[in-house]
Amino acid sequence: MKKLLFTIFLLALAASCLIGSTAINPLNASPVERDILLGLRLPRVLFSAVIGAMLGLSGSIYQLTLKNPLADSFTTGAASSSALGAVLAIALGLPLPLVPVIALTTGLVGLLSVYRLSKTNGIINPVTMILAGVVINVVASAVISFAKYFFEDSLSSIVFWLMGGFFVVDWGKLLFCALVLLVTYILFIGKALQLNLLAFDEHSAQSLGINVDRLRTVSFIVATALVAVAVSNTGIIGFVGLIVPHISRSLFGSDMRQNLFFSTLLGALLLVLADAAARSIIPGGAELPVGIITALLGGLFFLYLLRTRRERFWHG
Amino acid sequence: MAELRVENLNFSRGEFNLQLDRLTIKPGEKVVILGENGSGKSTLLQLLCGVLHGMGEIFYDKKPLQKIPVSERARIFSLLPQFSEVIFPFSVEEVVLFGRFPHTDGNRFSDEDKKISEQQLVQLDLLHLRERQFNQLSGGEKRRVMLARVLNQESPIIFLDEPNSSLDIRHTLEIFELINRREETVISPVHDINLAERFFDRFLLLKQGQLLADVSREQLTPELLTETYNVVVTSGAPAFTFQHQ
Repeated sequence: MKKLLFTIFLLALAASCLIGSTAINPLNASPVERDILLGLRLPRVLFSAVIGAMLGLSGSIYQLTLKNPLADSFTTGAASSSALGAVLAIALGLPLPLVPVIALTTGLVGLLSVYRLSKTNGIINPVTMILAGVVINVVASAVISFAKYFFEDSLSSIVFWLMGGFFVVDWGKLLFCALVLLVTYILFIGKALQLNLLAFDEHSAQSLGINVDRLRTVSFIVATALVAVAVSNTGIIGFVGLIVPHISRSLFGSDMRQNLFFSTLLGALLLVLADAAARSIIPGGAELPVGIITALLGGLFFLYLLRTRRERFWHG
Repeated sequence: MAELRVENLNFSRGEFNLQLDRLTIKPGEKVVILGENGSGKSTLLQLLCGVLHGMGEIFYDKKPLQKIPVSERARIFSLLPQFSEVIFPFSVEEVVLFGRFPHTDGNRFSDEDKKISEQQLVQLDLLHLRERQFNQLSGGEKRRVMLARVLNQESPIIFLDEPNSSLDIRHTLEIFELINRREETVISPVHDINLAERFFDRFLLLKQGQLLADVSREQLTPELLTETYNVVVTSGAPAFTFQHQ
């Protein structure tokens, strides 16, 4: 199954390189088309795959550590609080390498606030968590709106960036994000068996030899680092991390040794396809920010989850 | 296997206070903790196995519990909490196998681990449920799966918080007989006094966080139980008796 999915992913990568405002026939490409293919589309498609993988991986970690099937970078408030830091950094004209650092800091503050607000007597209540996520999203949106109002000169770039997309991609950015993904994936996969035990109640996990607090804290920080790096490079692309861990669990089981791999791969696949759609959906060469497409997919998926599994969610 | 020793244990939460000056539990003892709701049975259990921290000292094999790393502790103690859950759809087989985690290298389960897990499934009458999702089982079935997970840890001291809650009478009998037969030390709060009297050797009676008595079966009198539970307890034949067919 792993091989089949990987083949589908490679085919999607190839197809996504060839489609867009103009379709390119690789067997009969002009020099200009070859430049577009290798200089623009290939890095962009690879970049969308890496960002999708980052969001899928972070979603898998958030859902497990927060014991909440609705958790992802968007619903936990991590993405919007990371975006808040990134927007302020951009608006204040800070050097570009500082943007992910500021995004990570505000992202962690946002996520830890949600965690604190939703924890009662050592138990994370899923309903409270979603409400706390809403609070963080609202506060972050308010500050971002203020930044848009106050820093008028940066308005258009902030708005465009916030919608989420892969408009400007270079190999340096791509390699940096790929490296971050690789390092975090190796770290998580090395802890996959331990992570499984976080699915138990806290005392059971502890009695099985897990330092629950430490593992959960490290997982939070690393997953939020993934989100912060993704958000500071592409803006908010929501719901990828919500959708793919669910699909992975229903197809390949809940074992994190499988779920981490499939959430990462399916996240990459989903975003490559969404970006291909964003580039081709409007006739005449214009393109949509990919965040619009994932938000639409995510909204529908959220609705499906609420309709089919309502009882379990609202009773924790 | 070694003894568990407690000295000057003290734990407070709000107005509740638990105090235990001295207690030694010898290897292989079957110890039941009796007391009314809120008397501190579960709290004492959690303190003894180190998932809850209080003042005072707990020693295993003369070594302070705080000095034993969490990973090593999992090879000494296993715990069945009063309420135990698993989020996400794991299979019965997976849940039981996770009990072998303390014996792994942290990355994978060995063939030996899988073999031992299978034996636990057989022992707890769960083989037919092995591929079912844990979350879809009945309360009693879930309890048996969690018990199999705990026994799979193969620890010399087993803490079981009301192991028979949600279990029918047949499975209750089977599980208490199993516990009674085992060589390990078992420490367990139980609500049913008759079952406790039948399957355990030593009785810790708790009242409002204080150890009222620490007695053997012969010393367990209706007067002591009356004082523990604030109800009149008399001895004599129960209304129904039960044993295997």
